[in-house]
Amino acid sequence: MWEFFARSLEASTIFTFAALGELINQRSGVINVGIEGVMLFGATAGFITAQTTGSYLLGFLVGIAIGALLGLLHGFVSITLGVDQVVSGMGIWIFGFGLTTYIGNPFTGPLGMERIPTIFGLSPFFYIGIVLVVVSWFVLSKTNLGLQIRSVGENPSVAEVSGINVSRTRYLCVIFGGMLMGLAGAIYSLDYNPVWNYNFIMGWGFIALALVFFSMWNPLTLLAGSILFGTLWQLSLNPQLVLPGVLSRYIWRTVPFAITLGALVFMSTKWFRTRWGAAKPEALGQPYIKE
Amino acid sequence: MKIGSHELKLEKRVTLSGTEAALISVLAIFFALALFSLLFLLAGINPLIAYQKIFSYAFANPFGLPLTINRSIFLLLCTFAFIIPFRAGLWNIGTTGQLYAGSLCAFGVVVAFGGKTFNSAYYSPALLIPLMLIAACLGGALYGAIAGYLRGRFNVNEIVVTMMLNFISFWLVSFMIKEGGPFMKSGGEGESFGLPASIFAPLIKGVPFTIFIAVGLAVLLYYMFAKTKIGYQIKAYGLSPAAARYAGIQTLMIPLLVFIMAGAMAGLAGYHYFAAVPGVYKIPKNYGYFGDLAFYGIICGLISQGNPIAAIPVALLFGGLSVGGRFVQGELHMSFGVDYALLGVLMISLVAFQFFYRYKIEWVKTKKERLDVGILR
Repeated sequence: MWEFFARSLEASTIFTFAALGELINQRSGVINVGIEGVMLFGATAGFITAQTTGSYLLGFLVGIAIGALLGLLHGFVSITLGVDQVVSGMGIWIFGFGLTTYIGNPFTGPLGMERIPTIFGLSPFFYIGIVLVVVSWFVLSKTNLGLQIRSVGENPSVAEVSGINVSRTRYLCVIFGGMLMGLAGAIYSLDYNPVWNYNFIMGWGFIALALVFFSMWNPLTLLAGSILFGTLWQLSLNPQLVLPGVLSRYIWRTVPFAITLGALVFMSTKWFRTRWGAAKPEALGQPYIKE
Repeated sequence: MKIGSHELKLEKRVTLSGTEAALISVLAIFFALALFSLLFLLAGINPLIAYQKIFSYAFANPFGLPLTINRSIFLLLCTFAFIIPFRAGLWNIGTTGQLYAGSLCAFGVVVAFGGKTFNSAYYSPALLIPLMLIAACLGGALYGAIAGYLRGRFNVNEIVVTMMLNFISFWLVSFMIKEGGPFMKSGGEGESFGLPASIFAPLIKGVPFTIFIAVGLAVLLYYMFAKTKIGYQIKAYGLSPAAARYAGIQTLMIPLLVFIMAGAMAGLAGYHYFAAVPGVYKIPKNYGYFGDLAFYGIICGLISQGNPIAAIPVALLFGGLSVGGRFVQGELHMSFGVDYALLGVLMISLVAFQFFYRYKIEWVKTKKERLDVGILR
């Protein structure tokens, strides 16, 4: 049973990193629906690097770097060029999905390296993730930088007038968010499940996107949500732990997605919106064009 | 930017004419193909030879051409499934899930008539084929309606919803056709039972009749968007849901309607690939591949700017490219997934070209005032 919880927490770590990246993005007013694509890229690039060089560190660094590059791309297209953010994010997702299938294919199979050592039975990234969540919460809600980021996401023209460089702040968030998403992918392919397979992220990125909506844009709630979904995911892979022999394993695989749907609907009800909905960044998804 | 006596100036477009849009789309495709030749170069292959092989296999080869046509019909239907909600400003990336739902329903009809257990018996095509088509449309439409309803009633982000539905139906198909599922071929290897030979879709010169459905729908949809009230309402909603509400358009109805129509299109696409393409006639083990192909519909829809007639040549081109890509992959010993990579590269170049749909670059002759002033002094 401990084994199961440990794996669940490790799965939740990946959700935490990816969703935290997206949360920081969205707090600055930029939505990136291409998390899945960034994760696929980070995972594939990290996997290939680690396997060819034999160094985990390099693998993770490359994963982070490619995430930063894709974040920069999304920023350039959606902040500088002012293209619809959804179009750009979709582009990044399909770009990642298509290209990594081709690039990673010769590397199909297990990583074949010694596993990353655990700390108290858990992947070290679990602890890093928790620290990162707390730090992000602190920075976003207690510091000047956080105030800048939030004001850019709420009302960019007012922010600009009060002396904040809107584009620069957004670029910062988009690139940092991309790094976290790329790292999330690399954690998946190097630590959680070190086997390369075509399109192996299988919807994690989209669940991470939904998690940001659930979290009411608060990193601490996000952590709780990721742990819940990490456990759910692990449960859907090993249903025999709870209800042995009930339903086909394929039906269990649909459960995390169905619950995501249910939670999304619940969150969008009028009751919930009037009570909690004010947390959504006001300028989310709107390109800011300096007059 | 200044070059000589001319200046490169960026201007926001106020309007975009049809020819301009078409020109930009063609440029975007060329740009993507140029970018994609990098992959051939990296694999040590002359891109010109590769493209020559792709196009000659896809459009001039007795084996390749039927594949291209079948794939293009499929892509065209997937494109409609994307275009209709897109006109209303909504993103349907759930074509995959909707086409699985439609296919399962179509195969369900065959099971209901005993086509699974008595596989070699005769079934009336005049009865069963229309029923299968209707079931495919209904299944896809119902599945699409979930996303439309949630969007209209609760304003839930349709991208996340349709993606979740994709994964749900992906696993449902596995459940139905694998490990003793209800549609599994007895003693089979994780694929569905094959259709009885009597209800294979009729072929016209080797091409399934679904081609007429697809082309007919293109005309019908074009007419709907151009001439009918409902088409106008969809466009009005797409421009501004709030304004549409003030104009008396029901804001639940439009998202629901566009997703129902889109789902029906996707269901037809599923019927086409699994029940009408010669040599398939079953839900194969690698059904995920056909679901992935549906994402080409997004690109076709974006490149054709939501125009269903313009989507025909685009779908034909992309159908050919994906078939030809698969072919050169084997022919030139490239790594798996050339058609996937092409999908990605096309998409990213299209995103970059979105810029040109909004801005234009103009050569402006710089005025010589400053120079004149200098001389006078």
